[in-house]
Amino acid sequence: MAVATIETSGLTRSYGEICALKPIDLSVPEGEWLSVMGHSGSGKSTLMNLVGGLDRPTAGALVVGGQDLSTLTEDGLARFRREYVGIIFQQHHLVPYLSALENVMLSQYFHSVPDEAEARHALERVGLGHRLKNRPGELSGGEQQRVCIARAIINSPKLLLGDEPTGNLDHKSTLMVMELLKELRAEERFTVVMVTHNEEVAAWGDRTIYLTDGVLVREERTRS
Amino acid sequence: MNRRRWLLKMMFQALAHRGGRTVLLLAVLAMASSLATALWIVSLSMERRIAEEVRKYGANLVVVPQAARLDVGSGGLNFGSIAEPSYLGQSEVERALSTSGITSERSLHLRGALRYQNADLPAEGVDFAEIRRLFPWWQVKGAWPAAGEAVLGGDLATRLKLKPGDRIELAGTAGPIPLRISGTVSTGGEEDGLLFMALPELQQALGLTGQLSQVRLMVTASGDSLKSAAQSLQRQLPSAKVNEVRQTAHTSEGLLAKVKLLMMLVTAVVLVSAGSSVTGTMSTTVLERSKEIGLMKAIGGTRLEVLLIFCAEAALLGGAGGVAGYLLGSGIAHFITRTVFAASAEFIPWMGAVSLAVSLFLALLGSVGPMVSVFKLDPVRSLRGE
Repeated sequence: MAVATIETSGLTRSYGEICALKPIDLSVPEGEWLSVMGHSGSGKSTLMNLVGGLDRPTAGALVVGGQDLSTLTEDGLARFRREYVGIIFQQHHLVPYLSALENVMLSQYFHSVPDEAEARHALERVGLGHRLKNRPGELSGGEQQRVCIARAIINSPKLLLGDEPTGNLDHKSTLMVMELLKELRAEERFTVVMVTHNEEVAAWGDRTIYLTDGVLVREERTRS
Repeated sequence: MNRRRWLLKMMFQALAHRGGRTVLLLAVLAMASSLATALWIVSLSMERRIAEEVRKYGANLVVVPQAARLDVGSGGLNFGSIAEPSYLGQSEVERALSTSGITSERSLHLRGALRYQNADLPAEGVDFAEIRRLFPWWQVKGAWPAAGEAVLGGDLATRLKLKPGDRIELAGTAGPIPLRISGTVSTGGEEDGLLFMALPELQQALGLTGQLSQVRLMVTASGDSLKSAAQSLQRQLPSAKVNEVRQTAHTSEGLLAKVKLLMMLVTAVVLVSAGSSVTGTMSTTVLERSKEIGLMKAIGGTRLEVLLIFCAEAALLGGAGGVAGYLLGSGIAHFITRTVFAASAEFIPWMGAVSLAVSLFLALLGSVGPMVSVFKLDPVRSLRGE
């Protein structure tokens, strides 16, 4: 059996009186692609933020890549994110005044040293070798998302998080992005946790868990 | 690419992207630092100018023999009793001046009485070159005297019915002294009642070679430094009395201090206003860039690393504002000094450092509040746009 990349036990996140995530026990083996489904407010983004070290649990244990995230300081979490995690956002969150190449290099800057050749290679891998110098405003939604993917994978993360990565894309771009993620995962062998409310996108994963009102209500294996 | 170079490149792009706001911040910083620079340069130029003006009022230190008990006043002469003459040794004075290290211009004087037409004629021996340098208000009708010539005070000339070109013969203890009157002097002071001749000639005529009645010094110093110069000289000349002539200098210093205070207050008001403006603009910038800050933190930037980027941006603006402020401030100072004092402002290279420091201080101080927000910003909330 593969080593677990993510291990949670009674993981809970509350915001005052509101409990966004009720105690969840979850184990994600290394290299698995886990899809997290649920409606708005179901707690799926909260779960992703906790797993990615962007937020802290109110209670419970959370171990990612062998590190107990609940014991890390703010800066410790930041270091964990840059070393271990790549994040793909629904809104892309590209820096508007930087070119596609520079947006990828920004991630390198915080990780180690900006390396233009590596960043160029990452963009070529996502099919944007011809759009290196273009700024986000000059790229389509699908292209922006591919820059976001290049930025997420540039530091060879062990865990790739996707927060509705295709939520703003049309069907064709969605397929292109999912195909790309599948290829990259096959090459890089990272673990994927992808939040989505799209059944079709969730089906690209190995396993899907369903959250309702912060509770894990169901899970099913989508691939053998 | 090296991390520092990359950061610099990113900062330039960020500043260029927010062109209008960057220009506004730069303008505020440049204006504030230029004003501080300009007022400082003007203040220094004013100080120099006033020092030059004060010099026109003559000596600021007067050395007389201890026993003479002579009163001293600005521009006036008061030598005390001729009946009990007391003198300073010229060589002793020269030595004291050179060992005390005081930077000054000086004039040496010997007062005595010569006989003319069976009456005493008050005469003063001076070095006319020194007189012309130290007492520019002397108005000589005729010509300044050469060897064997003298200048008569205006009142004395009228009383004796003498005019430039006349020849007279005076009697001293060493014998007759033939002199030609080269001109008359009018100062409005007691100089108008005296005869002025070359110091060595009077010393010889009175048999007082190497003796002086008074030394007037124009010391390049003011306030406390003038006082310490006087004390230093007094130590060197225990048999003399060193007096400060402070009235004119004191008035000028008082005026200068008030003008300086006014300039400092104006500068303070401008700096506070500029600081507020920087804070406002930086706060807006941080608010606008909150998603960018959130992203930097989300992809692994520690709070300090992200904070440093924004601080470096503020410092970059501060540096550019400081350089622009120095150039602008020097120009403004030049304009003010030329217009108001009819003089050119000094080129002071170290004011560049002052301008830079003012601008950097403003940029960083004005950014403290916004930087705290950057430090505290939660990446998840800022990426959600909250």
